[in-house]
Amino acid sequence: MTKAKNLTPRKVKDNDFDLIRAINSGQVDKFHDLVKRYEQKLYNFSLRTCWDPRDAEDMVQDTFLNVFRYLKDFRYETRFKNWLYKVAASTCIKQRRKSKFAPEKELSWEEFYAGDGTGAPAQVPGWASIPLNQLLNEELSETLNQAIMSLPRKYRLVVILRDIEGFSTIETAQILDLSSANVKVRLHRARLYLRDKLKGYYEHDR
Amino acid sequence: MTGEYRDHTHCLEMFKKLSEYIDGELDHVTCAEIEQHSENCVACFSCLETLKRTVAICKNTKDKPVPREFSQRLKEIIQNLPKTTSL
Repeated sequence: MTKAKNLTPRKVKDNDFDLIRAINSGQVDKFHDLVKRYEQKLYNFSLRTCWDPRDAEDMVQDTFLNVFRYLKDFRYETRFKNWLYKVAASTCIKQRRKSKFAPEKELSWEEFYAGDGTGAPAQVPGWASIPLNQLLNEELSETLNQAIMSLPRKYRLVVILRDIEGFSTIETAQILDLSSANVKVRLHRARLYLRDKLKGYYEHDR
Repeated sequence: MTGEYRDHTHCLEMFKKLSEYIDGELDHVTCAEIEQHSENCVACFSCLETLKRTVAICKNTKDKPVPREFSQRLKEIIQNLPKTTSL
C-alpha cells in the first residue's frame, strides 16, 4: 500500500504566497509588487545566462509575462522563487540563441585532472589562500562572469543556480528537470572549468 | 603535510568527489578519507583549496542594478496586462 505521506503534498512556507493569493483573487495591481521583488535577481540571472543585456531584458520580460499567464496554475507546493526560476530557465532554453561565447559541448573531468601530479602546484596559490575580501573586486566579477558565459549552457545554468543563486542540489534538479546525480556531475565540471579560468586570470592575465 | 605522498588512485578518487565534499553531500567516512588524504598530498590539498575558493568567489559575486529605462518599460508592460490572472 502506498504510504499516505507520498500522496500529500509537502507543506511549504513561503513569504510570497500571500501576495500570489492576492493577485490570483483579483488584486492584479499587486503583480507589480511581485515584479519589483524579483526584478533584480531575475535580471542578473538572465544577464549571466544570456550575456547580452538586450537578450537579458527580453528574457526577464518574457519570464514575467509567462509567470502572469500561468500564475493561476501555481499550486503552492514549492517556493514561488523555485517556480519563477523554472519558468526563467525554460524561457532561456526556448530562446535557443547561440552565443559566440558558449559553444555547446561536453566537458569531461579528465581535462581538468593533473593526473600523476604533474602540473599540480607545489603549494596553495595566493588567490586561494589570502582572505576573500582582499580578492573581491569589479575586475574579478567581470572575469568570473565572462568565464561563466564561456561555459556550455547546460553547465552554466547549473553553476549559476547552485553557486550564485544558492539553490540546493534537489531544487536545481527540479528547476532544470534533471536528476540530482546529473546536477552534481555538471556542477563539478563547471566548477573545475571556472577554477581553471580563475587560475589563468591570476597567473597570466593580470 | 608533505608533497611526497603519491598514491594516485586516491588522488583520482578524491578529485571526482571534491564538489560533493565542499557541499557537505558525502558521508562521514568518505569525508574523513578525503581529509586524511589531503593532509598528506599537497597537490590534492591545493586542488581542494582552489576549488573551494572558486565556489566562494561565485557565492560572493555582486549583482548589477537593473537599468532604469528597462525597469520603467517593464512597469508599463505590467500595467497593460489583463485585469485578471484567471483568463
